[in-house]
Amino acid sequence: MDKKYWRSLNELHSTPEFEEILNREFSAAASEYPEGVSRRRWMQLMGASVALAGVSGCRWEDEKISPSVSRPEGLIPGMPQKFATFMELGGMAQALLVTSYDGRPIKVEGNPDSAQAHGASSVFAQSETLSLYDPDRAVGVVERKAGTRYSRDWQAFVEYADSILGPARQDGGAKVRVLADVSSSAARKNLQEKFSARYPKSRWYEYTADSRDNAYQGAKLAFGDVVRPHFDLSKANIVVCLDEDLLSEHPASLLHARDWAARRDPAAGEMNRLYAVESRFTTTGLSADHRLPSRSVDIGFYLTKLEAQVQALLSGKKAEAAGDDYASKVLAAMADDLVANKGASLIAIGTSQPAELHARVHKLNELLGNAGKTIRYSKEPLATDVSSVEALRTLAGEMQAGSVETLIILGGNPAYNAPGDIDFVSALSSVPNAIHLGEYEDETSLLCQWHLPKTHPFEQWGDSRAYDGTLCVAQPLLEPLHDGKSEVELLAILNGEKNPVGLDLVKEAVKGSLDSMAVNASWRRLVHDGVLKGSSLETVSPKVKALPAAKITEAASEEMELVFYASPQVYDGRFANSGWLQETPDNLTKITWDNAAIIAPKTAKGLGVEFGSVVKLILEGKSIELPVYVLPGQAPNSIAVALGYGRTAAGLVGGDVARDVAPVGENIAALQSKGAINFAAGLKVEKTGKEYELAVTQDHHSIDAVGAGEIQGRVGQLVREGDLSEYKKNPGFAEERTHHPELKSLWDKPSDVEHSYEELSYEGQAWGMSVDLTKCIGCNSCSIACQAENNVPVVGREQVINSREMHWIRVDRYFTGDDVDNPGVSIQPMFCQQCELAPCEQVCPVAATVHSDEGLNDMVYNRCVGTRYCANNCPYKVRRFNYFNFNKVYEDPNRKLQALVLNPEVTVRHRGVMEKCTYCVQRIKTVQIEAKNEQRPIEDGEIVTACQQACPAKAIEFGDLVNKKSIVRQKHDDPRAYKALSELNIKPRTAYLARILNPHPSLAKPATDGHGHGEQHADAEHKKKAAKH
Amino acid sequence: MASVTTKPIDTTTIEVPGQRAPLVLGSPDYGTVTESVCRLAECKTPMSFYVALGISASLMGMLFGLIGYLIITGVGVWGNRSPVFWGWPIVNFVFWVGIGHAGTLISAILFLFRQNWRTGINRAAEAMTIFAVICAGVFPGIHIGRVWLAYWLFPIPNQMEMWPNFRSPLLWDVFAVSTYATVSLLFWYMGMIPDLATLRDRATGKIQQFAYGLFSLGWNGSSRHWHRYERAYLLLAALAAPLVLSVHTIVSFDFAVSQLPGWHTTIFPPYFVAGAVFSGFAMVLTLMIPARSICGIQDLLTDRHLENMTKVIIATGSMVGYAYAMEFFVAWYSGNRYETFAFINRAFGPYAWAYWIMVSCNVISPQLFWIKKIRTTPWMIFVVCIFVNIGMWFERFVITVTSLSRDFLPSSWGYFKPTIVDVLMLIGSFGLFLTLFLLFCKFLPMVAMAEVKSVMPRPGGQGDH
Repeated sequence: MDKKYWRSLNELHSTPEFEEILNREFSAAASEYPEGVSRRRWMQLMGASVALAGVSGCRWEDEKISPSVSRPEGLIPGMPQKFATFMELGGMAQALLVTSYDGRPIKVEGNPDSAQAHGASSVFAQSETLSLYDPDRAVGVVERKAGTRYSRDWQAFVEYADSILGPARQDGGAKVRVLADVSSSAARKNLQEKFSARYPKSRWYEYTADSRDNAYQGAKLAFGDVVRPHFDLSKANIVVCLDEDLLSEHPASLLHARDWAARRDPAAGEMNRLYAVESRFTTTGLSADHRLPSRSVDIGFYLTKLEAQVQALLSGKKAEAAGDDYASKVLAAMADDLVANKGASLIAIGTSQPAELHARVHKLNELLGNAGKTIRYSKEPLATDVSSVEALRTLAGEMQAGSVETLIILGGNPAYNAPGDIDFVSALSSVPNAIHLGEYEDETSLLCQWHLPKTHPFEQWGDSRAYDGTLCVAQPLLEPLHDGKSEVELLAILNGEKNPVGLDLVKEAVKGSLDSMAVNASWRRLVHDGVLKGSSLETVSPKVKALPAAKITEAASEEMELVFYASPQVYDGRFANSGWLQETPDNLTKITWDNAAIIAPKTAKGLGVEFGSVVKLILEGKSIELPVYVLPGQAPNSIAVALGYGRTAAGLVGGDVARDVAPVGENIAALQSKGAINFAAGLKVEKTGKEYELAVTQDHHSIDAVGAGEIQGRVGQLVREGDLSEYKKNPGFAEERTHHPELKSLWDKPSDVEHSYEELSYEGQAWGMSVDLTKCIGCNSCSIACQAENNVPVVGREQVINSREMHWIRVDRYFTGDDVDNPGVSIQPMFCQQCELAPCEQVCPVAATVHSDEGLNDMVYNRCVGTRYCANNCPYKVRRFNYFNFNKVYEDPNRKLQALVLNPEVTVRHRGVMEKCTYCVQRIKTVQIEAKNEQRPIEDGEIVTACQQACPAKAIEFGDLVNKKSIVRQKHDDPRAYKALSELNIKPRTAYLARILNPHPSLAKPATDGHGHGEQHADAEHKKKAAKH
Repeated sequence: MASVTTKPIDTTTIEVPGQRAPLVLGSPDYGTVTESVCRLAECKTPMSFYVALGISASLMGMLFGLIGYLIITGVGVWGNRSPVFWGWPIVNFVFWVGIGHAGTLISAILFLFRQNWRTGINRAAEAMTIFAVICAGVFPGIHIGRVWLAYWLFPIPNQMEMWPNFRSPLLWDVFAVSTYATVSLLFWYMGMIPDLATLRDRATGKIQQFAYGLFSLGWNGSSRHWHRYERAYLLLAALAAPLVLSVHTIVSFDFAVSQLPGWHTTIFPPYFVAGAVFSGFAMVLTLMIPARSICGIQDLLTDRHLENMTKVIIATGSMVGYAYAMEFFVAWYSGNRYETFAFINRAFGPYAWAYWIMVSCNVISPQLFWIKKIRTTPWMIFVVCIFVNIGMWFERFVITVTSLSRDFLPSSWGYFKPTIVDVLMLIGSFGLFLTLFLLFCKFLPMVAMAEVKSVMPRPGGQGDH
């Protein structure tokens, strides 16, 4: 009798899982140490170790990161340490400085040594700590066979890789393909070359959803060679942006914002003037002195007109009479300014625009003498022969044709973000051996045979280059949490190396850039600094070739266009699982947790849709349904939709269909196609009759006529703005924008004090802040930096709809002017103003919010019982209440990892407790304690709040108001300074510096009396007020 | 019981010159009064009582269930949000505190002014006051974020050596409402002692004898007892009278002392007190009109009683109307942009519907009482009073929610939407109120027998005193 005995169903069916268990002595969980070494080898090593135990005195530097047994010199447990590293986005490095508590990174800041960052950072960089501890990150090596998921280890993968790549070497890897995200890592380049040498017939493709191909091809058209333009906004008097967001989406935006803002101080030299011609409202557009909304397809038309006018002016001819419409006037002003500022202006065009236009912009810049002055050119290290999308298309074609047997996907998520006309999903299913290295088991991983966990940028050695070419090096801040390997380590494994070490690979690659005499010392210096000074790209001086005559595209056809753009929150979808970023309100629309069809008011009216109506967007036969957001200032007949949403396998935050978590937003990539990567005309819009509630943080409901009228009346007093001419006439105009009775004090004011913070005789310091609205670009960096620093919880879409978002800093946005299709925008970062006579303090029945002797309005969480009276009485509504236990996520045993992101210096607030901005009191105290220990006074600028640190435009200043020399005191004494709602006699400690716009004289609004009302008033009142200050 | 089967025609509302309308109808002798009041506690309980009690007790149970849910989950179960940090719970609180005004006004102020007609209604009105204050007391307690620390609002010596913040109106409120509740309860209970003794003497069951005996504190009706009783009653009345004004004045400070446009107005104290009396009288009428016919005590609670109360409603309703108008005038006259907008927004903004419900219920509907026919027809009074109750709830809603929803910075403006928990809790608070009131009707003397007897024509005497 042949009876079959079996121990488990797995054995009966002889699954690979079970066979693995049979073949291995230990199960996968009990991995043999050291990893990647077989038991036999381990015995050998141990034997050797014992034999060599007598040989002492030699010690190699160990690259393993582990807790110290004895405390290294200078390291004090609990004291934060800072490490330089970087993050790469679109192949460009952003240099970072990461604060780490006892080996636990908790806060990201810009690297102050980096010429690009100068200490500032973007929202993406800020949220990197959250993604580091994201419990949804892929854990361990995974194999998928016939729809079943098996946990493997790297050893198993190496064996697998040998089994498929070994035979592949026979034919030179003719059926091996690599698809990588774009990167400027030299180490990767080295390994790529080695890989190509090993598999000469293999092919390497690079794909990114946010490529700069148009810029490369445009440069090639213009100069015959691909060069990279570097803009120096500090030298430019006139900046013209054509569908280009220089200040926030450009890879060098931090530098641009800082340089631009440096020229926005009316008291310090000539102010620059910024023009923006763009379809969707960008950060640059809202900062611009003049903004012309235009469909993206019409940019070429406007450029042609601009060229004509500039050429006419240059040749001394009088420009043809400008039309009466706004567009013509703006173009005329632009041409006038550009010609008047030859060599001190610059024109930049967005990467979404076709190459031909890029070439013409290069030409125009050369014509105006800007090349070499405001614009420096260098070689383009990332240039490729084929565009990113074409590379993906070719690869998909090969895959479909069955000519790919092994596909190695290094990062990226093409199964999710491939354009709709590239069926990457089905192509991938015809690849027998697909390997995906990624931080998450995402849409692409689910279709691959192997998923390999990728290290987070903070877990790996790496090198990259910033936009200006500066070499950046990353060091790991902690051991990989999830058994990950970096891109370079994986490549080395595929190149046949055993146990490659990231450190060696990176060091080897950058050795060329180091001082050859003292490689080790300069390497250590480089790791410490994170950036190599003086390593920026060499300047070249290319000449523009003769260009074919420009085709004048006729504008003003009524055709609707669809514009795709990388989301400022989740980028190409890679940050979809970050709660911080999902909940970051878009700076114009204030939408969180969604993408929407952004439509101009005029167009919405024509279509008969309004805020929240769901429309069907049909482009080339493909359609998608999206809710409408009506945005004043969006170009008419242009609909903008953010990419990066609609992830189906992002995680519990961004959407995971397998775990019943609905995707956030819609994936618009399905509508992208060969001719419509960035934008395309020919869009059809259909009403569906459905409604959808968008989670917005401002204007939670449509504002009625009564409210809208009042807002118009108030904005001028809240966000005080004036033209440069007005400022020159009366620098203190801002203070005169409101009229109110004299503010009296109940205290006898000593005659010798000027300011209330002196009057109340604070001993020591009186902390204060200032925000320069002329410099603020509304980029949200401060808000997310604050979230990271102060453990501000994420509340989710539902609670944002219920207006319960917790951000301590919100960036208020108001539209101004009469034309809803071309409004002005006023922005104002709003957070606790630390009033000296704080209304919140008086009404708290349990004295949970009280004044410190340094003038801070302290919030005592332990004492708070949550009557919420303080929030009612706060005129700025900056207090945030914990309606639920928003930190519950940290208690979930399966997501405990996430709790590591919390700043140990800041209390995690309980349910039922009020919270608000503290001026980063923990940072104040750290410096105070340090200064006290060293028995020295605190220097001005020594205390830097999180928002101030992150601000790329340096719009925020913080310091001691008693110190007359402090920067913040000078800002408070600036004639532009005003306090929001100061008429309530609450004496805020935060001053806003009025926003000064620098319009072209021909476009300046007729001068008003600047009071927002026509009321007569005596000059004496102003004089009195001036005297008071 | 035979005495109530033949209902006499109520002619108390017909003014006859030179003659006072009687305060008690029927064959007015002490025995009948005692009989008609005590009967309620002694007769077999009708099925309808159990049905009514069952419904209101279930609603009360729902309220406590929801409070449990609230405490476990967090105050986010309500519609409160930024910038409307106070929503329905505070609206309900002020609404119930306002209702709790009539009782003490009737018992104390009318007593001091020697308004003898008060005797018919004061007991029930005082009971209503206590129950309304209980309902009111529930809300601020559960409204706070950390309910388990609510005792921090009281100045209890503690190891932290922390006092509450005496500058906060909320703290004043704690004192005002708790004092008011205490004094009202004492006043009500003390006034009830002679009647409890009557019930004790008539009780047949052991439990009733014990309970009434316990609470009547050994009352034996001696002259000495009566003397002490009347002194104490007068003193308590004098003590309670200023509380009538103070409690709602201080509740109004919760709003008026803040600096929120729409809250920060000096008119609030008198306006709130008038509104409270207005709503309190309306609620007394709402309860008494059905109660007097169900319990068959029309003889003691005559149409004239009702008419007198409608007159108070006209007076206070007009004061409230005046306050509404004056708020607008002051807002305009102040020239303060925020203040002006707060009121324009109330009347014409997104909450205009609530504002106009308030105005029509509170200002227009009581004016109907100028018509004698309406003033003397119980069901018409009942309808108008229901409107007043609705209107006064909306008044608190308008003040609390519309002012908060749009304050200084337009960026933080919002629109409040209640959740189902908000709605069910309001309904549940009525359940609590009615449960207590039904129990009161069943077990305690609904009319102050001893006092009524004192204003009755003396047997054999000329009546008028």
